[in-house]
Amino acid sequence: MRLRLIYSPSVVEKPILATVILKTGVTINILEAKVDAQRGELVVSIPTEGESLQRVIEMFQDAGVEVQLLTKTLQIDLERCTSCGACISPCPTKALRFRSDWTIDFDEERCVACRVCVKACPVKAISIP
Amino acid sequence: MAGKERSEPIRSVEEINEKIKRGDAVVLTAEEMIDLVESGGLEVAAKEVDVVTTGTFGAMCSSGAFLNFGHANPPIKIFKCWLNDVPVYKGLAAVDGYLGATAMSETRGFEYGGGHVIEAFLSGEEVELRGEAYGTDCYPRRHVETTITLDDLNQAVLVNPRNCYQTYDAATNSSDRVIYTYMGTLLPNYGNVTFSGAGQLNPLCKDRYYETIGIGTRIFLGGGVGYVIGEGTQHSPQGGFGTLMVKGDLKQMNSRYLRGASFYRYGTTLYVGVGIPIPIINMKVAETAALRDEDIYVKIRDYGVPLRPDLRPVVREVSYAELRSGKVTINDRDVPSSSLSSYKMALEIADVLKKWIFEGEFLLTEPVEPLPRYREFKPMKLRRRELTVRDLMRRKVVTASPDDDVRVIAKRLVEKGIDHLPVVDRNSRLVGIVTSWDLAKAIAQDRDRLDEIMTRRVITAHEDEPIDVVVRRMTQHNISGVPVVDRARRVVGILTTDDVSRRLVGGR
Repeated sequence: MRLRLIYSPSVVEKPILATVILKTGVTINILEAKVDAQRGELVVSIPTEGESLQRVIEMFQDAGVEVQLLTKTLQIDLERCTSCGACISPCPTKALRFRSDWTIDFDEERCVACRVCVKACPVKAISIP
Repeated sequence: MAGKERSEPIRSVEEINEKIKRGDAVVLTAEEMIDLVESGGLEVAAKEVDVVTTGTFGAMCSSGAFLNFGHANPPIKIFKCWLNDVPVYKGLAAVDGYLGATAMSETRGFEYGGGHVIEAFLSGEEVELRGEAYGTDCYPRRHVETTITLDDLNQAVLVNPRNCYQTYDAATNSSDRVIYTYMGTLLPNYGNVTFSGAGQLNPLCKDRYYETIGIGTRIFLGGGVGYVIGEGTQHSPQGGFGTLMVKGDLKQMNSRYLRGASFYRYGTTLYVGVGIPIPIINMKVAETAALRDEDIYVKIRDYGVPLRPDLRPVVREVSYAELRSGKVTINDRDVPSSSLSSYKMALEIADVLKKWIFEGEFLLTEPVEPLPRYREFKPMKLRRRELTVRDLMRRKVVTASPDDDVRVIAKRLVEKGIDHLPVVDRNSRLVGIVTSWDLAKAIAQDRDRLDEIMTRRVITAHEDEPIDVVVRRMTQHNISGVPVVDRARRVVGILTTDDVSRRLVGGR
């Protein structure tokens, strides 16, 4: 499961992520991070499920972090897509690649919905609902 | 094999056409030809194969269509014209116009352009036509507004001044920010490589010495039949950058093979599908028709440096095989690479063309005239020397050292009346910068040494850079001054927005 964590100014300086990792033992992986003095935004991948995942989410929420579940990923309009490949190399998480027949393959598990591919697509075939 | 023997004729175009008509011509796509040469050898392949079909499908900005709208009653000599708000070139007769692929909508900008209008016509859509005129005795009407479809036009002729680049240099970005180019999204610090071109399927690569492709060659163009009408603009064969000018009847084409496109923050264009049959007339042609991605090399250029295309620094040379593998090695690091042109569509086009020939619908042609094998590729001649950083920068630069005291330096800035202070090491090399704002903040926070507060990633300029480029850089980083450094990063001057604006209003 991938989460977007939004840190408000009041909690942005606290070591919340480290605390969650230490307390739960879950090896949370940071996929994307934007942090400044005002605000922090992380996209993380949580390699666990069920109760253990719920516990991680609650710990973030209890610490004052806004948690969004990243279940909405991109959609490719295969009628418009020309399989050019312009979306592939800009993708920071390698969620897009060619199949052996040169059509585009999309790996939802890797996608962090960063929208780089939406901008990169010359025929506007990619959207994020 | 010696050159003379290699150009000895194996078969003529006429003989091939006879076989096509009889239904026993051997036609392979370029990929199949490569496989055959690998398994059976070149001699066998050259003996067996009559035609190799090629294909390419990529963004080709120098594309567009001549359109004739028919006359209104009373008639109008349209002086300014728009189709779906995209301006149409009207320096032609009353109701003739040229719709260029990169012309952009006056209401939707980067989102929609001439390429999209061409696609809309092919999809059978109604397109809004708007025309303005000054009115004459013979053409009294001054305004027209209607909707038209492709069927309503008398002629719609795709005429593309430059298509089908033989090869195209790949792109990467050494700078520290994402750049959006006609080569797509380029991530900072050599974050990715993009490239264009069908490589081993590309028409001109497969007839590298231009022995079969020339003026008059019948081709697959946008899903219909078209013709090569000459060398393309910027045709530069000696470096492997041959191009073609092509034409074809738009009404016979198909929106699957002509697609409007837009590159983020660059503009609009048209994806064009072109396929050309290569008659295997001699060993030399057979040999080039069997070239593989492994044999076709281009340069990777750094688009992070804002220079003329041919002056963009070359990072390394690379084969289409390596580019297409999905990763390229730059500075001992694997960098993701991907194409902008569609290999899948290129394959499809080579296949469709093969089918046309196989079914006897498409006969080959001999060129009326060959393409030039040499053309000088000249840059634009700039008559007036343009302003460079050297012309406007201040050479007397007040600098400081990293261990200087914040208060002493603040005093110096006030005395000299300056805002930007480069921080240099003992060898005058730039290590940081502080501004008057940084100093005010540092004093408020009770800091002591400059190196505690200085910005270490300094945006700089070189003496020989055009002012335009540096001003754009300052705007992008939201800063008001840059130290000017030499190649060893020694500070040789400073340029501020004040220096530039003073020059603009004509002072000094």
